[in-house]
Amino acid sequence: MKYKSHKIALNFFTFAVLLFLVQVIVGVVAAIQFLKPDFFVFAFNISRTLHINALVVWLLCGLMGATYYVVPEESECELWSIPLAQFQFWATVVAVLGVVVGYIVMGLFPQSNIMIFGTLLLNEGREYIEAPRWADFLIAISAVLFLINNAMTMFKSKKWTGIQGTLLGGMLFLTLMYLPGMFYSSSMVKDQYWWWWVVHLWVEGAWEVIAGALLAFMLMKLTNAPRQALEKWMYIEVALVLFTGILGIGHHYYWIGTPSYWLWVGGIFSSLEPIPLLVMVWDALRITKDTRVNTNKLGLFLATAHAIFNFLGAGLWGVIHTLPSVNKWTHGTQITTAHGHLAFYGAYVLLIIAMVYISVPSMRGVKDYNMSRGYRSFWWQTVSMVMIVFTITGAGMVQTYMERLLGIDYVAVKNDFNSWFWIWRIIFGVTYLIGVLMFVVDYFKIGKEPVTVNAAAAAISESKA
Amino acid sequence: MGNKGVRNMFVFGSLLCFVALVVMTFDTFAQLDSRSTKITADVDKGKQVWHKYDCIGCHTIFGNGSYFAPDMTKITDKLPKSYLKKYLVNPRKVNASAAMPVLGITDDEAEKLFVFLEWISKVDTNGWPPKPIMSKGSSSAAVYEKYSCSSCHLINGIGGTSGPDITHVASRHPEAEWHRKHLDNPSSVVPDSAMPPYAQLTEDEKKQLIEFLVSLK
Ligand code: HEC
Ligand code: HEC
Ligand code: HEM
Ligand code: HEM
Ligand SMILES: [Fe+2]
Repeated sequence: MKYKSHKIALNFFTFAVLLFLVQVIVGVVAAIQFLKPDFFVFAFNISRTLHINALVVWLLCGLMGATYYVVPEESECELWSIPLAQFQFWATVVAVLGVVVGYIVMGLFPQSNIMIFGTLLLNEGREYIEAPRWADFLIAISAVLFLINNAMTMFKSKKWTGIQGTLLGGMLFLTLMYLPGMFYSSSMVKDQYWWWWVVHLWVEGAWEVIAGALLAFMLMKLTNAPRQALEKWMYIEVALVLFTGILGIGHHYYWIGTPSYWLWVGGIFSSLEPIPLLVMVWDALRITKDTRVNTNKLGLFLATAHAIFNFLGAGLWGVIHTLPSVNKWTHGTQITTAHGHLAFYGAYVLLIIAMVYISVPSMRGVKDYNMSRGYRSFWWQTVSMVMIVFTITGAGMVQTYMERLLGIDYVAVKNDFNSWFWIWRIIFGVTYLIGVLMFVVDYFKIGKEPVTVNAAAAAISESKA
Repeated sequence: MGNKGVRNMFVFGSLLCFVALVVMTFDTFAQLDSRSTKITADVDKGKQVWHKYDCIGCHTIFGNGSYFAPDMTKITDKLPKSYLKKYLVNPRKVNASAAMPVLGITDDEAEKLFVFLEWISKVDTNGWPPKPIMSKGSSSAAVYEKYSCSSCHLINGIGGTSGPDITHVASRHPEAEWHRKHLDNPSSVVPDSAMPPYAQLTEDEKKQLIEFLVSLK
């Protein structure tokens, strides 16, 4: 290990990987509940809450791990304070476990979610930010400690690279955008208005900025492309992300009681959101083609796959339902679920997996590692996810047609017409889970197994080139 | 442009966009009050019950939330209060195969939830959810056709003109009870009404027809 600080990065990655496994297991439970609502100890709302909260938290932990890896690398020194980082890690783990226990208790006893000091004790009852207020404060404190530690490291080293500046800027934006979700409003319209600041400005703002910075970092690590040019394109990408994404928030203000000019603002700006994502794909492909690639073929493969699926899931599956004239019919149907899955998978799940395969070998002090299980896990996950998305897009089209256009009752469509789609989702959910299990096993073995023929051959062809 | 120039464009351009969002937020908030009715203490209490039981974990409201259960935006327009309250307190007593669990909602909580959902249904949502445009006439409209009500009434310009145009009759008479009395015996609510009584309809037909009439907003 080059830097002792990297121990923290590994801690965060390990916690993230374990939560990933939990997330997908409860996802399969939720999928089964579409057919058998009572088959598990708690109801659908709790399995879904666990599913999406585990997702968001493990992705955040993955991003923190990635930052704790990148900042010492870019600054070429240890973190400002390793004990503080260690504390921040354990505080995060304790807070997250506390929240999870709370959800399960509420699942078993719905009445236990009592009001204390004007806030709900176990579950705030707002999608994605279900975590109760006391946990919000712990999360905010953890994020601030994280920011201070990394910013101080950069100040200390005085190496202001564009990549780490953008990464930290994205992290700061992310932290600030958690705050609009932390107060109560008696108007459901205002409630949802601010709620979207958290959800939309995260995934289509701050997180995409972070993804842009990490993409540039990965391409730099894996190829001999010059930093200067990489950073320039990175700035262009993240600029376009925010120019389209900030006002693109209007695509969530069509029908929640807000004035109708949002139909125009949202329609115009959000339609442009795929452009920066397409530039990122072009960037990744161009650099892979034009420059010499180091030995970590799997790492570069995953970074490129991330760029491509970010475009497909967020860009393409997003833009198809973003115009008001379409969204009027598809809003709140399974089309949204299909988009949510492919977007999160492509943009952030693959991003963290790519960062793991790029950073963990070097943090474990090996140059080369066995890549075959990593490839297999990628294909199991990706094929399964694409099939889940097709399945649910099908369910969404049937729902839009029957419920929204023909006026057939919601429950009838769900139970009588869409049940085959629910069955297929369970099947592909299980194959997805197999892919995740492979990844979890591989995570603990990266760099600890003998390198196979494949990887060795790649290394030889590399040294010849 | 050098890297510095691009970076500055990124930083200042983004700040500018953010300022635009903040300005529009102020403008939006200034308009919100006129886009719905007043939020009473009971509406607020109902909203808190909504959060307490994590209804959003299964349902959508304004189309946002989870897609496991029907949308709640205009639910009080569709279903009567007595039904909704019974359902909230014990869905499985109303419908044995209901997927919604018995959450332990009290009578009082159900009352507050209803007031909250009624407030929600009054919000101007720019026309969402839309009317199903390809609907071949629901079974409720079928009763309307079966008894040739259209020989005297206009809906969307189709029908006769002996009676009044009833395209928006529910905005004049929103209550189901009024329509029931009117159908059984028009003169009981409209003195000297010329409309013939329809007491001969079966109970089911009456229900469907009334549901249809109160949907004509
Ligand atoms: C575990 C999931 C779940 C939770 C939590 C839940 N519901 Fe439901 N709800 C359903 C489902 C599914 C239906 C569709 C009918 C059925 O199968 O029960 C439904 C039906 C309804 C209906 C009747 C709609 C109709 O057309 O007949 C109302 C009203 C309702 N829910 C309100 C609420 C409210 C208010 C809450 C929170 C206090 C809530 N629900 C919590 C799953 C849930
Ligand atoms: C012979 C002509 C005739 C037929 C057939 C007829 N109506 Fe009427 N309807 C009238 C007249 C006249 C009025 C106005 C007096 C009144 O409000 O009762 C009226 C009023 C109404 C109103 C109240 C309108 C308002 O604006 O206040 C409704 C609702 C209505 N009719 C429904 C129906 C339905 C449903 C049917 C079929 C089952 C039907 N009518 C059949 C003649 C008719
Ligand atoms: C990585 C980026 C993105 C992620 C992770 C993402 C994820 C999501 C998720 C999870 C939802 C559902 C929210 C809910 O539960 O209510 C959603 C909604 C939506 N997204 Fe995205 N999204 C991304 C990018 C985009 C882009 C680029 C567009 C448009 C071009 C877009 C368009 C939409 C629209 C229109 C909705 C609302 C759907 C509805 O009306 O029900 N998204 N997104
Ligand atoms: C890494 C992979 C996955 C990601 C990133 C992911 C992400 C998400 C997100 C963001 C949501 C909420 C957004 C929405 O519904 O619009 C969601 C809901 C859900 N997910 Fe996943 N998920 C993953 C894997 C799975 C798997 C394998 C299954 C099981 C088959 C599954 C089943 C579900 C179900 C049933 C819901 C609820 C949808 C609804 O409300 O109708 N997910 N997931
Ligand atoms: Fe969005």
